Amino acid sequence: MQELVLDQPVSRARSELVREAAQADARREFEERLAECGPLAFRVARGVLRNTADAEDVAQEALLRAYKSFERLRDRNRFRGWLVRISFRLALDRLRSAKRREQRDMLWSEPAHLAPSATAEEVAASNQFQGHLERALDELPEKLRLVLLLSAMEGHTIGEIAAMVGVPLGTVKSRIFLARKKLAEKLRCYANVIRMR
Amino acid sequence: MLCERHKNAVIEAAANDAALSGELREHLAECASCRAAFAEEQSLFAAIDSSLHAAANVEVPTSLLPRVRARLDEAAASRLGWVRPLVFAFAGVALALVVALMARPHRAGRQEVAKQGPAGAPASMATAANTNREKTSSESTPIAAIPVNHSHTSRDSTSSHSAASSNPEVLVPPDEREGLALLVASLNEHRDLAAALLVHVPEKKDLSIDVERLQIDALEIKPLDGRETEALDSGGEKR
Repeated sequence: MQELVLDQPVSRARSELVREAAQADARREFEERLAECGPLAFRVARGVLRNTADAEDVAQEALLRAYKSFERLRDRNRFRGWLVRISFRLALDRLRSAKRREQRDMLWSEPAHLAPSATAEEVAASNQFQGHLERALDELPEKLRLVLLLSAMEGHTIGEIAAMVGVPLGTVKSRIFLARKKLAEKLRCYANVIRMR
Repeated sequence: MLCERHKNAVIEAAANDAALSGELREHLAECASCRAAFAEEQSLFAAIDSSLHAAANVEVPTSLLPRVRARLDEAAASRLGWVRPLVFAFAGVALALVVALMARPHRAGRQEVAKQGPAGAPASMATAANTNREKTSSESTPIAAIPVNHSHTSRDSTSSHSAASSNPEVLVPPDEREGLALLVASLNEHRDLAAALLVHVPEKKDLSIDVERLQIDALEIKPLDGRETEALDSGGEKR
């Protein structure tokens, strides 16, 4: 019995070492994915929040959460989709906060966030249209919004989006179509703004 | 103004960004208003797409990855920082427990020795002990602290020696402790037997015995004859 008592710290230390080694491996693997998936997490959050500082905070939080649960993720190939969903969910949570929303609205009016335009009229028109688009995006159902955002990002095919979101290819296509159509319905009344562009 | 018949087809064609069907293409070629509406729809979707593209592909701040790495380091450090002291504390407690368990039987033995000190010992045992004390100090222990007889001691046997003893201690497995306790109790009851056990028995040495050599006279062998044989026999007996 005494021998068992003496043996426990040794086995515990051994299991601790094994655990630390596993953590080091997981960290290495996570680091490899970080360079690729970090921007993805940020862009998803930015697409929802439309504020760089908030989006960076959310991306960090999402990556940290992903790292903490990384060892438990059985299929590492699904990491991107997993991270996208975490980022999207966290961004939505933040967006729902009224305080953050006010701050975001103030910061969004900064011209640094806008696409470069040639004339002052175009800048004004672009600003207006962008504002309307943001509101229309906010009103989109979450499923449609996420798919639309991912499809707007560079370097993602429909197949990759389907894998990330975990839905069939046809569903992704129909969601994109529906989302664009809903946006167009909301923005059609601003056609004069578009004509100005 | 869009023709009601082709309204949905025009909007969906613009939204799909796909090739137009033959019928719609023909209609657009004929109807100027539908053609204009289709162009407006196309520009609307183009504006939506470009705005979305701009919003979705913003430049990633360079501070993002270093900040994430720093937070990962913090998380890893805090995780290990929480686990390690816990492991060490647990190991320390376990070690203390082991030490306490190992020390407990000796303490009990000492207490027993203290109880059965010289005052409580019977006269016979005291006499025996005094006798033995002259010969060897290690044999002067009271009954409860019977020293290990190394000639018979296996690794399983033990004895709790006096507190100041420097003799090696032998651990007793739990299943044999009861037997040892019974032996000590019976020895306590039969002090005379215990005293007899404690009395030093001098070792007997085998003395060499000198035996004289057998002297045999030379035998005279004569032809068999009744009288002579008797005489020879009687001669042999004499010797």
